[in-house]
Amino acid sequence: MAPDRHRDFWLDLWGMALLLPLLAMPLLFKDPFILSLTYQFAIGVAASLSVYVMLRMGLLSFTVPAFMAVGGYAAAMLAKSGVTEIMALMLASFVLPMIFAVPLGLLVLKLKGLYFIFITFIFNEILQLIIFETPKLTGGSDGVVGVPAATFLGADLGVPWRQVFATVAVCLIASVIAFAASHRYRAEFTSIEENETLAESLGVAVWKYRMIGYIVSAGVAGLAGLALVNMLGTAHPSSFASWSVNNYIAYVFVGGRGTVLGVVVGSYLLIYMTNVFNAYAHLSAGLFGLLLIAVMMAAPGGVVGTAVKLFGGFRADKGDAPRPAPAGGAA
Amino acid sequence: MSILSIESLFVRYGGITALNGVSVEVRQGETVLLIGSNGAGKSSLINAVTGLVSTSGGRILFEGRDLAGIPSAARSRLGIGYSPEGRRVFRSLTVRENVLSSTLGLSRAAAEENFAWACSIFPLLAERAGQPANQLSGGEQQIVALARAVSTLPKLLLLDEPFLGLAPVWIDRISDAIRELQRRGTTILMTEQMARPALKLVDRAYVMRGGEVRRSGDVAEIREEALAEEYL
Ligand SMILES: Nc1ncnc2c1ncn2[C@@H]1O[C@H](COP(=O)(O)OP(=O)(O)O)[C@@H](O)[C@H]1O
Ligand SMILES: [Mg+2]
Repeated sequence: MAPDRHRDFWLDLWGMALLLPLLAMPLLFKDPFILSLTYQFAIGVAASLSVYVMLRMGLLSFTVPAFMAVGGYAAAMLAKSGVTEIMALMLASFVLPMIFAVPLGLLVLKLKGLYFIFITFIFNEILQLIIFETPKLTGGSDGVVGVPAATFLGADLGVPWRQVFATVAVCLIASVIAFAASHRYRAEFTSIEENETLAESLGVAVWKYRMIGYIVSAGVAGLAGLALVNMLGTAHPSSFASWSVNNYIAYVFVGGRGTVLGVVVGSYLLIYMTNVFNAYAHLSAGLFGLLLIAVMMAAPGGVVGTAVKLFGGFRADKGDAPRPAPAGGAA
Repeated sequence: MSILSIESLFVRYGGITALNGVSVEVRQGETVLLIGSNGAGKSSLINAVTGLVSTSGGRILFEGRDLAGIPSAARSRLGIGYSPEGRRVFRSLTVRENVLSSTLGLSRAAAEENFAWACSIFPLLAERAGQPANQLSGGEQQIVALARAVSTLPKLLLLDEPFLGLAPVWIDRISDAIRELQRRGTTILMTEQMARPALKLVDRAYVMRGGEVRRSGDVAEIREEALAEEYL
């Protein structure tokens, strides 16, 4: 297997490694600002990995908040009905969005470019509408309130540090799933991203892999939704507002859309900056926008993508056979 | 027996007629050349067989079966291998991933076997297996594109201008690889602008111009009759 594991794999693994310290934060710190940053990081990474999975095929999916809502509401309702075991909640908020993704995928996965973006965005609006129109089921504009704290094998996860720990753990699992899927289907996704028609003519069942990606992306977002509900203690429509997807997309592009490391770095950077800018509430939106523009102008491949381009030359061939000068081949 | 029969095929792009009633036969085990200058319609014909362009008249029979309505990916699974003009490897995939990208439906074991088979024809692949394809030279990329096309063990191999933009030393190497494929019984339909190296490899040739077949026959006939004045 060794030959397949080239640089991207290690960059992705580094991204995963950068998530591990989040687990330690609630054990080490009591400072509410640090704990708040910790769970925001975790949820932000999980949600943007949902964007990332689809981007690996060159598709910009805006459906993330809707899938987060399906996962979050499923967990909230289940907990209110008495099932508080976090494993059961995870199962529900992972599987249910994936089931939703199948018919939606059938509708949308033949579309391209702007049409795809537009329709996937509309799904969020439709879901918001459904939530507001079904107060009996979803609590309407009030959301599902008073969600009991989750439990793990009977242990109460309501204590603040445990709550943050559980949130991070859920997001970590979501991230591992996104990571695993993007590596299992690396060749498929990349060939589709680089040249879909060529991939098709070589026998790649493009449509099938798009569906797989969309389903995985939905499950990952659903877990992020559970994490959010677990942290807030409510499932509220505003937590899953359509515009929130812009943040997740920004994390991915600022960090670098090509690797998990990029997603993690982008999420940390922008979430931290958002928290800093929030101190200047009246300026924060503008400052955030300026930062985005600055990063994208200075580093079009995102922070990680550009760093790899600048410094990656040394390591690119590491482990490969030394390469003789191209013998007369012209491109 | 004909493995591929193209019967008075038409391909149009908007107002442009790229193929104007072209008929081509490829029999089991032979190598057939479509020769013609830029714009003659060679790629349009190849892409009509792969399903990348739609036809507006005529029929394509593969092993006697009409390909109309069969999507591109399914044609590959029927046994049509394709190496595109300009190579078009997947740049950020490794050599090995590129070669195996045409066998993604297969089990890992079967894919490994096919990769080993491809390596036995193109030893370069084994050396370069882990290298991203964008680090390869043009000739190396052409080898990768060839290997990708044959790693499915296709019944018919379509090669669109395999020598395009390559230096003579690489044209020789690609020619050797094609001969090795022929020794192993591969049926090939290839296109070229460069008559001299291509005619050495094939059994029969069709001379195309302006979307029509102007002449066809055995290599000897073609070489003497037509190409002396037009292409050589
Ligand atoms: N996608 C396309 N859209 C419009 N015209 C095209 C397209 N592809 C090819 N053509 C035209 O069709 C004719 C045949 O092209 P092509 O099949 O690529 O020839 P060849 O491969 O022999 O160079 C040319 O006149 C070319 O300009
Ligand atoms: Mg051509």
